[in-house]
Amino acid sequence: MSLANIIRRRLLLLILVVFGVTLVTFAISHMIPGDPARMMAGERASDEIVEKMRENLGLNKPVAVQYAIYVGQIARGDFGTSIRTQRPVISDIKKFFPATIELALAAMLFAIIVGVPLGVISAVSKDRLIDHLSRSISVVGISTPAFWLGLLMILVFYGQLGILPGSGRIDGVIGPPTTITGFYTIDAALTGNWPAFKSAVQHLILPGLTLGFLHLGVVTRQIRSAMLEVMSEDYVRTARASGLSRRQIIYGHALRNALIPSITMIGLAFGDLLYGAVLTETVFAWPGMGAYVVQSISSLDFPAIMAFTVVASTAYVLINLFVDLIYMVLDPQIREVG
Amino acid sequence: MTFFANLTRAGTIALSVWAVAPMLTQAVQAETPQDTLVVGKSADADNLDPAVTMTNNSWTITYPAYERLVQFKVEDGRGLTEVEPSLAASWTTSEDGLTWTFKLAPGHMFDDGTPVDAAAVKASFDRLLAVGKGPSETIGPVAEIQAPDAETVVFTLKEPFGPFLSALATNGASIVNPSFAEHEKDGDLGQAYLAEHTLGSGPYRLESWEKDQQFVLVPNPHYSGPKPALSKIVVKVIKEATARRLQLENGDIDIVEELPIDQLDTLKGTEGVTVVDEPSFYVTYLYLNNTHPPLDNPKVRQALSYAVDYQGIIDGILLGRGIQMQGPVPVGMWAHDDNAKQYNYDPDKARAMLEEAGVKDLSLTFVYAKSDPNWDSIGLVLQQYLADIGVELVLREHAYPTMREKLNTGDFDIAPGNWTPDYGDPSMFMNYWFDSRLHGLAGNRAFYTNPAVDEMIRTSVNLTDQSKREALYLDAQKLIMEDAPYILLFQKNYTFAMRDNVKGFVYNPMLLQMFNFESMSK
Repeated sequence: MSLANIIRRRLLLLILVVFGVTLVTFAISHMIPGDPARMMAGERASDEIVEKMRENLGLNKPVAVQYAIYVGQIARGDFGTSIRTQRPVISDIKKFFPATIELALAAMLFAIIVGVPLGVISAVSKDRLIDHLSRSISVVGISTPAFWLGLLMILVFYGQLGILPGSGRIDGVIGPPTTITGFYTIDAALTGNWPAFKSAVQHLILPGLTLGFLHLGVVTRQIRSAMLEVMSEDYVRTARASGLSRRQIIYGHALRNALIPSITMIGLAFGDLLYGAVLTETVFAWPGMGAYVVQSISSLDFPAIMAFTVVASTAYVLINLFVDLIYMVLDPQIREVG
Repeated sequence: MTFFANLTRAGTIALSVWAVAPMLTQAVQAETPQDTLVVGKSADADNLDPAVTMTNNSWTITYPAYERLVQFKVEDGRGLTEVEPSLAASWTTSEDGLTWTFKLAPGHMFDDGTPVDAAAVKASFDRLLAVGKGPSETIGPVAEIQAPDAETVVFTLKEPFGPFLSALATNGASIVNPSFAEHEKDGDLGQAYLAEHTLGSGPYRLESWEKDQQFVLVPNPHYSGPKPALSKIVVKVIKEATARRLQLENGDIDIVEELPIDQLDTLKGTEGVTVVDEPSFYVTYLYLNNTHPPLDNPKVRQALSYAVDYQGIIDGILLGRGIQMQGPVPVGMWAHDDNAKQYNYDPDKARAMLEEAGVKDLSLTFVYAKSDPNWDSIGLVLQQYLADIGVELVLREHAYPTMREKLNTGDFDIAPGNWTPDYGDPSMFMNYWFDSRLHGLAGNRAFYTNPAVDEMIRTSVNLTDQSKREALYLDAQKLIMEDAPYILLFQKNYTFAMRDNVKGFVYNPMLLQMFNFESMSK
């Protein structure tokens, strides 16, 4: 199957997935008892006002009709008005989604840059001190609560040393760069706003490290076990026998093959980061999707919950597609078989 | 060089680049500039439209951006619940209390330089009523607004409303620039625009709002009052309490709101930090469902009221930052009764009363949510107190929207609640809590009905003579305290912390989370 065909088929599938996810989320969120109209009107509002509110929101219509209207709106790219903030949902998503992606990318970058070499070192010196050390780091990484680690980071790097900012995306006095992509670092670099760039990078470090550290363990372990498996393969022995240097064997043969299963895992982990960053976002006052969706859920803000679901599931499917494409590049067998 | 060394070196370099490079360029934190005030709050505003928002977090931004016809008085550096002229220079009331005529003060201007005239005031109130959301109710039963000339505004009420002036000092009564019409989209009366912008005549105007991050307020160049000392107010959203506290300690933030009590205690001894700890009108009480037998028997409700160790709750849960309520109207508000009956902790009496009422093997539900962390603790101690008098209490935790629904339909025996008044008038307690027309979430959450009380409180709210109103409220309180529809727990202190170089803050129990930025300095 050609590449274009694969992409086309997957995009069709994307529509189906998103449709299914919205249906389920819509049904569940409307089954929870609680009246969002009253929440909006203020608790002490009279029934008259609440009723008027309900009408404005379309909450007085049957759930099936509400769903149909909703799907129609999404098709036109309209995510509706948030019940909690009474502002268009899309403007919130546009702000919060890039913030989460930027943080997730920074975290992933850290996990990969540190995790891959650590995993390789660990595998090639199996059961030696450095291996034990790296495995300990993995365990600590996987089992440390983000909340605690984040606070610790703030205490040390902001509170004690005073070398890094403790919260937010950018310095309040500098202010955010002109919006192009919504990524502060990229926007600042594109517009040549260097003070903003510096501040954005500084603000990214602690939350990025915190979130990245949690995934570092996963990456290290995965690479280590994949490397161990590959290193015992016949072709590695053959390569060794044919006199290739250790470096050539590990980089040229083993790592490349060990990366293939790891990429799936990293792709999935990245998907997790999109909505798994709630605690990190909260500790660092990072204005991302995680914190936004938690607030939305607690106030039964259907339009916001739905918009998050659509965006997150789309992103998840796209990431999977992207992972598969990388596969094809790395593994010629898949490329040919399709 | 071996592969190993290479790899290790690569790893080390990567690590160092990640961790060290930005540090080299990072400036060490400094105090905030002298003409800039930085406030750290725990949650973002929802919506900045005065006709829409009902949350104090939004009012932090909107209150200083708008002016109202009247404002709360300040005496000896203390904010009072009484009001004085602001946009209105004077006013008169008709004999029947239905017509209120305001004369506007000259010289007030919106931030675009247009004058605040009667037409603007009328347009603003017309808009508030047309938008018809929560705040339209807090200003009272307004039927019509007229502007016979540029300086005169006449309100006609549907019925006399004693707290009217007080209600005009609330955020919902903020006067919005009629230029909102230029921002109208699909007949929304400018709601989409005003949700994210300010159009007022207050001392400040909103310069920018980065959602969930920060607001920047700058002075309104056309403000009629003296030029404020602070030329920039930055309001940051920092959800984590510890992070807020640290930034205050480091001097990156000047004022920090909503710190948990234990954090405040740690801050008390910190150099350069002042903890503001003032009595508020914020009360916490328990709704007893007066329609669920045997709670429909006043004797049983009294027994439960005697079973609670009030001081124990204040000391244990609030760490002493509060006082036991005496009557439903809090201390500091007129119509508070210093002689009102106050239930004390007397488990023997409680047991005896239950026996008298013939109640045995009683099991009650306590419906609560984690939205207020204190509710959880209150439920636990209450369970113990009631077990002590032979009553079982079953704790049922729900998501807050679900709890609200149960409160509205009366699906609970006991539930905790908090209440703050919208305006400085005892009707916010007396009429909301006890009027049998307001059963449910609207205010009478105990589903209490007493025709004699109804009569007194309804008469009181329709009068304009404060002494007559007060007499009625005091009488009503006597009946109410015997009926014990609620268990009145405590009046909590309002606390926050600030750098001690921040000067001029005026505390007003009516303006929680709202600051007088225009008269503050550093």
